[in-house]
Amino acid sequence: MDLGAGQQIGANLDLSKLSDRDRQELQQFVMNETQKARIQSSIHSLTDTCFRKCIPAGGVKKGALDKYEEPCMRNCVDRFLDANLVVLRELERMRQ
Amino acid sequence: MDSLGAQGMSAFQNPKTEVMRQIQQEAAMQNARMLVEKLNEHCFDRCVPKPGASLSKGEETCFTACMDKYMQAWNTVSKQYVARIQQESQKPGMGNTF
Repeated sequence: MDLGAGQQIGANLDLSKLSDRDRQELQQFVMNETQKARIQSSIHSLTDTCFRKCIPAGGVKKGALDKYEEPCMRNCVDRFLDANLVVLRELERMRQ
Repeated sequence: MDSLGAQGMSAFQNPKTEVMRQIQQEAAMQNARMLVEKLNEHCFDRCVPKPGASLSKGEETCFTACMDKYMQAWNTVSKQYVARIQQESQKPGMGNTF
C-alpha cells in the first residue's frame, strides 16, 4: 500500500521478528480492513449513482434530503442490490 | 500527526500495532479523499453550470447546501447498505454476494 509521498506501510519496521500469533493477528486484521474498504468503496459508488437519480436538477439548493429524496435514496440502494442479484443469478443460469 | 521520533519509538515497542495504525490511517485518508472527490464532482456540476470569472456568492451558498445534502445522502446509503448486507448474510447460501 502506498502512503502518498512514496512512504509504504510497514516501512522502517522490522516485521521479521513478529511472533506467529502476531503474524496471524495481523493477517486477520488486513483481511478485515480490506473487507471494510470494499464496503466503503461500494457506499461511495452507490451514493454517486443514487444521488444522480434521486436529486432532481436544482435540488441541491436546500441542504437536507426532503421526504421524497430520502426514501428514494433508500429504495435506490435496495433496487440496485436486487438488480445485482438478478445479474448474478442470470449468469449462474447461463453457466449451467 | 506524530513526530517521526514518536513514530519510531512506538514502532520499536510494537511493530504490529504500528502497522495496524498505519493501515487504519490510510483507510481513513482514502475514504476522505473519495468523499471530497465526489462532493466536488457532483456539486460543481450542479452549482457551477457556467463557470464565471470567480466563484459567486450564490454558487458558494449552493456548494455548502449541496455538500450537506450529499453527505446526508451518503449516510443514508451507508445505513441502508450495511443493513442489507447484514440481512443477506443471514440468508443461507448467500454469504458473500455483495
